[in-house]
Amino acid sequence: MKLLSKYHGEVNYEEKDIIKFPSGIPGFEKLREFIVFSIEGSEEFSILHSIEDTHVGLIITNPFIFEKDYEINLPDYITANLKIEKPEQADVYTTVTLSSSLDKITSNLRAPIIINKELKLGEQYIMEAQKYDIRYPLFREGK
Amino acid sequence: MLVIGRKKGESILIGDDIEITIVKLDDGQVKLAISAPKEVLVLRKELYKEVEEENMNAVAKNIDILKNIKR
Repeated sequence: MKLLSKYHGEVNYEEKDIIKFPSGIPGFEKLREFIVFSIEGSEEFSILHSIEDTHVGLIITNPFIFEKDYEINLPDYITANLKIEKPEQADVYTTVTLSSSLDKITSNLRAPIIINKELKLGEQYIMEAQKYDIRYPLFREGK
Repeated sequence: MLVIGRKKGESILIGDDIEITIVKLDDGQVKLAISAPKEVLVLRKELYKEVEEENMNAVAKNIDILKNIKR
């Protein structure tokens, strides 16, 4: 199958690559089916792209690369919704907001996107606790 | 929409297993105690709005900067 992304060109994918978000993603509640693909020339970042709206591709990263001690306790409603039984089933991504200056590139560590990679089910988990920043700078000086 | 007056210490029930109690009233602010099953999401609306906004910000049209990052 082929996705003709508005901003990221043509992307080939298969039926088994489709991740279902039964409750959507905040801001994009009506979109339910996404794929993840890598960005050419970048190891740390990927794109979570809607297959229903060719304009919507969110930049995502693996938060553990940037915050070694990143920690998430999945609440019961998330593990139940995503049918996660063991931690190995879960992939964790966080969204990235780009900027033309490196030190203003941030990631939302407060609301990770959790994906059951076996069942291809996803949901964004918003942490009520203020432990992590919604706009966490990824390339802070001195890091 | 149901609009209902409550005094300190009084509660409302939502369905079988959600109870919201008015704990404290103080000059324009109210403190609520919410008791709900673990599988129910309870969230301050402004936090949801912020995440919504950040998700929209994560939709980038131009990702060239990412190709030049050396770590």
